[in-house]
Amino acid sequence: MRILVGVKRVVDYAVKVRVQNNTVDLSNVKMSLNPFCEIAVEEAVRLKEKKAADEVVAVSVGPKQCTETLRTALAMGCDRAIHIQTDRRTDYVDLQPFAVAHLFQKVVEQEEADLVLLGKQGIDSDCGQTGPMLAGLLGWPQVTFAAKMDLEGDGMMVERETDAGTETIKIPSLPAVVTCDLRLNEPRYATLPNIMKAKKKKVDTIAADDLGVDLEPHNPVLDIFEPPPRKEGITVESVDDLLDKLRNEAKVLK
Amino acid sequence: MLSASARVFVRRAVGTSHGHGSLRSSSSRLFSTASSSAGFDSYDDDSVTLTSLNSMFNPTEEHKALRSMLQTFVEREVEPQALEFNKKEIFNVDLFRKLGDSGMGILGLTVDPEYGGAGMDAAAVCVVHEELSYSDPAFCLSYLAHSLLLVNNLSTNGSHEQKQQFLPDICSGAKIGGMCMSEPNAGTDVLGMKSNAKYDAEKKGFILNGTKMWITNGTLTNDNDGSTGDCFLVYARTGEKKSDVTQFVVEKGMEGFSCGQKINDKLGMRASNTAELVFDNVFIPADTHVVGEVNGATLCMMRNLEIERLGLAAMALGIARRSLDEMKGYAGERSAFGASNLYQFGQVQKHIAESYAEYMAGRCYVYGVANSLDLSTYGNGLDADGTKLYCAQMSKNVADRAIQVMGGYGYVGEYVVERLWRDAKLLEIGGGTNESHHKNMCRDLRRMGRTPLD
Repeated sequence: MRILVGVKRVVDYAVKVRVQNNTVDLSNVKMSLNPFCEIAVEEAVRLKEKKAADEVVAVSVGPKQCTETLRTALAMGCDRAIHIQTDRRTDYVDLQPFAVAHLFQKVVEQEEADLVLLGKQGIDSDCGQTGPMLAGLLGWPQVTFAAKMDLEGDGMMVERETDAGTETIKIPSLPAVVTCDLRLNEPRYATLPNIMKAKKKKVDTIAADDLGVDLEPHNPVLDIFEPPPRKEGITVESVDDLLDKLRNEAKVLK
Repeated sequence: MLSASARVFVRRAVGTSHGHGSLRSSSSRLFSTASSSAGFDSYDDDSVTLTSLNSMFNPTEEHKALRSMLQTFVEREVEPQALEFNKKEIFNVDLFRKLGDSGMGILGLTVDPEYGGAGMDAAAVCVVHEELSYSDPAFCLSYLAHSLLLVNNLSTNGSHEQKQQFLPDICSGAKIGGMCMSEPNAGTDVLGMKSNAKYDAEKKGFILNGTKMWITNGTLTNDNDGSTGDCFLVYARTGEKKSDVTQFVVEKGMEGFSCGQKINDKLGMRASNTAELVFDNVFIPADTHVVGEVNGATLCMMRNLEIERLGLAAMALGIARRSLDEMKGYAGERSAFGASNLYQFGQVQKHIAESYAEYMAGRCYVYGVANSLDLSTYGNGLDADGTKLYCAQMSKNVADRAIQVMGGYGYVGEYVVERLWRDAKLLEIGGGTNESHHKNMCRDLRRMGRTPLD
């Protein structure tokens, strides 16, 4: 079985982003592997360690620094990597999930993958669309928000997060697309010996423009602005005051 | 609409999600870089003015990856335990073992992979010491004693057979140890040591006697039970001349080898164990446990002292960087005299700006030297001494200013900088006092005579 894992390079989760010139300012900002993609990588590597998978291929779409992000995935245990290079911003402004799904479709077909693992969403644009769109384009079954995953026969049982708890979904047979949620696993550290090994693994670069996919964004982004600063709170005199304000000002009580 | 709010959502989603407490960055930090400075296409690293400095501190992709990996590890595992182990004055041996094969794989950082190491260089040594010290200099000191004073020393000076015999266990973390040079009455005057080893031709070995002082990792337990660390390199007199000193491997359990006392109530570095070790007629097999030539240990010493000093200087960088982060964070949030932050005040500006400039000067000096240091040779003594001399004092001053900026809060353990200030003081003493650096450096400078520096 060959697993393809999506690896997105995003602004690090700890960075407080600023908006400048009507866009998120990426200058001097720390970039990292999207945490949900990291969970997908971990899951794929575990499947390989259990000998359920023969090969794990990490795939990333983005600028040339994406190779660094791919090296992280390689250090965690992926076997090789494919970099679909583009200078478009990947945080929705220039390149949108529909185009990314099409790019992935090409690679999935080319690589004859049996399973595609993706993060449930990128923490920059928070769309959560690439996985479902890719499954649609491929005509494959999909499970989103995976919290637990077990291979079973030719297919797999996947527990997925819902608002009310989890539900278990059976995929009778592969191929399939699964997007990974936070509880699925706890990703490992890339250790020094593995960083050294990762150096020798293969990273293929393909120009996004050469894949015959329409990369133009279909949904124009009209405006980007920072959330308004939170208003200062007030201290109420008594419980009655509080109830009064909740009823008559906030109108959250009847 | 896009990122800022997106991030708020993710944080919340994570907070309410079941199981894990916080969103882990994990190895996602690995290979992560800051993209370019303002004014350039943010995706184009090549046009960045800071590139040359960044590539000085992270000369290769591996250095960058190593630093990212360590930052994740430090944030997740070192930082949360630092305050507690400092308070209790105990060594976190379980965490230490995670630096070995069961985790990071950095105990044999400079060792040839043939013997279980990672085969990295002096710059990597600096990266590790800087990052560990950012959170816990005491823990880092134990790492230094093990990975540089014991592991790197053996790897540089030992024979192939000795490396095969000793290195795999100490690189994996199965055994933890250090090096014994100072004595109760011989510190900076290192060749004034009294410990001695007499050759016994019949038994084909040396009989070692003496007492060694201030030995980091000298004991690994926290209850003063007399047990020693696992493996040490010990310097002792073996001849008449002042420089007739030999280096031996002494292992835990050898008859006559014991821990005199765990040294308590230190000013700083309290989460690193320091002990007095006693050698009472310890028999040392001559064919396996003598490292380098008999009476040739001064060469081993010189070779290893350079990287040790660079490591200590890099620890100072970690202390300074953390102190800067703490003071600038505090200054940005604390309001006073009607101003919303302390950056409005010239006195605070001076503290912060001077600290930053001195930190960067030290950082450039350390990595400048590290990037040109060949671990198998010696002859960089002047600058190895120089980096430590400068950075130790610099880190103490920066930590001091951090306390001053933070006022009462800075004086309290929870706010970290008072601990860093205490730890920084050790760097002016351990691995060479400031005065020994003065002495060594002036010896070298004087030798140059009127030859201009270039």
